[in-house]
Amino acid sequence: MIMKKIWIVLLPLALMAGGCGFDNYDEPQSKLFGRVTYNGEALGVRGTGEAVQLQLYQDGYELRNPIPVYVAQDGTFEATLFDGEYKLVTRDNNGPWVNDRDTTVVDLRGTTNVDIEVTPYFTLSDVSLALNGNALSASFQIDQVVEDGAVDYAMILVSKTAFVDDVVYIVREDLSDPEAGTTITQSVDLSGNGDFNAGAPLFARVGVRPVGKDQAIYSQVVKLR
Amino acid sequence: MKKSIITTVKTVLLACLMTAFNSCSDFLDREPDRIFDDEQVFADPALIQSVLANFYGRVMWGQHINDSYQYTILDEAGKSDGGPDNIQDYSNTLWRVYDYELIRNINQFLEGLRASSALEEGDKLAYEGEARFLRAWVYFNMCRGMGGMPIVGDEVFDYEVGMDVTALQYPRSTEAGLYDYIISECDAIAEFLSDQPTINAARANRWAALMLKARAAIYAGSLANYNNKMPSPIRTAGGEVGIPAELTEGYYQTALTTAEDIINNSPYQLNMTQPGNLERNFYEALSVKVSNSEVIWARDHIYPGAGQQTGFTRVNIPGSHAEDIDRAYAGPILNLVEAFEYTDDRDGTIHIRDVNGDYIFYDNLEDAFANKDARLGGSVIVPGALFKGEPVILQAGQKIWNNGSWQTRTSQPGDEDDEGRLITSTNGPNNSNEQFINKTGFFFRKFLDEAQGASTRGRNSEMWFPRLRFAEALMIASEAALELGQQSVALDYLNQIRERAGIQPLESMTLDDIIRERRVEFAFEDHRYWDLKRWRRAHIVWNGVQNNPTATQYALFPYLVVAPGTPNDGKYVFDRRPFSNSPFPRFFQLRNYYNFIDLAWQNANPRIVLNPFQ
Repeated sequence: MIMKKIWIVLLPLALMAGGCGFDNYDEPQSKLFGRVTYNGEALGVRGTGEAVQLQLYQDGYELRNPIPVYVAQDGTFEATLFDGEYKLVTRDNNGPWVNDRDTTVVDLRGTTNVDIEVTPYFTLSDVSLALNGNALSASFQIDQVVEDGAVDYAMILVSKTAFVDDVVYIVREDLSDPEAGTTITQSVDLSGNGDFNAGAPLFARVGVRPVGKDQAIYSQVVKLR
Repeated sequence: MKKSIITTVKTVLLACLMTAFNSCSDFLDREPDRIFDDEQVFADPALIQSVLANFYGRVMWGQHINDSYQYTILDEAGKSDGGPDNIQDYSNTLWRVYDYELIRNINQFLEGLRASSALEEGDKLAYEGEARFLRAWVYFNMCRGMGGMPIVGDEVFDYEVGMDVTALQYPRSTEAGLYDYIISECDAIAEFLSDQPTINAARANRWAALMLKARAAIYAGSLANYNNKMPSPIRTAGGEVGIPAELTEGYYQTALTTAEDIINNSPYQLNMTQPGNLERNFYEALSVKVSNSEVIWARDHIYPGAGQQTGFTRVNIPGSHAEDIDRAYAGPILNLVEAFEYTDDRDGTIHIRDVNGDYIFYDNLEDAFANKDARLGGSVIVPGALFKGEPVILQAGQKIWNNGSWQTRTSQPGDEDDEGRLITSTNGPNNSNEQFINKTGFFFRKFLDEAQGASTRGRNSEMWFPRLRFAEALMIASEAALELGQQSVALDYLNQIRERAGIQPLESMTLDDIIRERRVEFAFEDHRYWDLKRWRRAHIVWNGVQNNPTATQYALFPYLVVAPGTPNDGKYVFDRRPFSNSPFPRFFQLRNYYNFIDLAWQNANPRIVLNPFQ
């Protein structure tokens, strides 16, 4: 008799303490893969420091915060999300391309690939980077894409890791007034560099910074040794 | 037995219910003795004043002497405390101010004050002037970080659960609109405020209001001017960021007129308490409150009183002068020291090598800094300089002449060699991850308190932090006149500043002279960052390129020469080196020109638009 009455007291307590399950759900499983491209080619950007970002918005919820998507240095990106319809947009004024905030609608079901087509101010072509004794021989061509774009400077960068950009480097040579449309050749002396002399692995790429933009555009990373 | 248990349970339950739902006396119905309601506050002049004092304590932002670390992230000082500081980028929220709570509190104060009958009309206006000055100061600090933000006027919003909040959702003002509001507020209150200096410059008077007006106008003018000269100006579609170019001249004109009003009519002047010793004179202009004729508005600190002192002196004092365990947290860097000119040479580089690349030998440590701008000695303790009458020895080690080359010898701080000569000074500098030893080669002088006990943990310092001072009026007038094409007027004001510093007057000038003069005149006074931002120079000066001399921090290491039998024995030489505790160059990116808007603010108020690059 008493036992039954105790249960009357315990039942509400049990209901209060339990009750998880309805409002919990599994972590997101779906994958969004993509590239930032021009004419179908992925663009090289700075991949460190969360420098180049895209933003994912999803309508129909109370809060409007975008999900930042970080672009890797080879121009690819990926995000792990719930299935649903998303709007993908470049971040305002971010990246070495003409600022364009047009929305790409992404319908994510399982795994989806998406290319974001942008218009960079320049592209880099015929890039060749090779070690030549104690020097790095670089040759590349800057191709004008946007008519009124101007080059701030070009740079040749060497790093001891696979991350190479205008912040992560061990050797940097700036070319202040490179001409677009012609082949530029430059030799960079590495003999004074400690990492070079110590035989560290070396990676290199070239970059060009459009005037007034917050980021440079880069070639793909080349492993020198 | 069964029955008795049930009875016990019932009794306990009954007791619980009685306690929970019954209250037999009004024992708990009491007037709170720690909370005053509006009626009580605004019936008592002393309480009104203490509410205002609370507001004065809540407006410390940006760089200031209560947070020495903030001095080390630009190009003025470096952090010596412990190991390297690996900062590279600046935060999107650096020194961001968003204090609508304070604005609401000030508006509540204004509402109560205007209804109060405890004060004379004139006193009420004076209080209103101070409160509105502080409100304008809050808006100014928000505006220079984020651009235009919502202007709520005198409105005190009240919220009840379930009400429609859309009426509370104010859109952002334009950037120009917010600077205009600050200027008009300062105009409106100038007449309410006293024109006499206040005690320790701790409260705002008419001249503080006019200084804020002039500063807002020169900020707005230079933003309108230089932002639109960028290859791609930073602006939003609605003008929340970005001031139209056609407003440039009007703002410069306002700045010039207002600054000239202060120069000609205020009781302030360039401090000249020590005409015989200009270094000392400049130190006293900033760091001594007694008979100071220059500082218009400051955050005062005083002893006793909980939390009313500053630890700047305690954490930054040279080890040889320390009175407690703390010392040498940070020190100025060579970049700043070399920005100070020589009395007859505008290139301020410290001469450490001759044309052949050989060392220059100095008889005394301080000789390397002879004939410098007097403000250097007033702002920075250079090696060998006096503090409280005792020399501050900064010596990194010895340079030993050995078979035709120099060898460097360092030691534990304070150790001597066999001949009894000092190797590394207890003050430093050295390269290490240790605490309490200098690593830049210089100590702060500006704001370093000479009072007994000022560097102890028990007492701390009463040093104030000047926010507005007469020299800024001269610099604003000079800059505005220059931009308006009045070169001779601009030169006249600039040369007054330079004369006080003991350096040669200029015969012609450009904006670069203004930039340099402001850098050395206002070092550690929370100007440099905002100045470079409004001139749109920050991303050029701090461009993040390794070994770029303006983005990389440098230190200067003094050495004692040990070369027995040669005339140079016992002299001093100097090495310039990248500052070991700051391995990365400063990198100010275009997105840093405006703080990011917190997305939570936008969620609460969808009419708030985001800033560029966000």
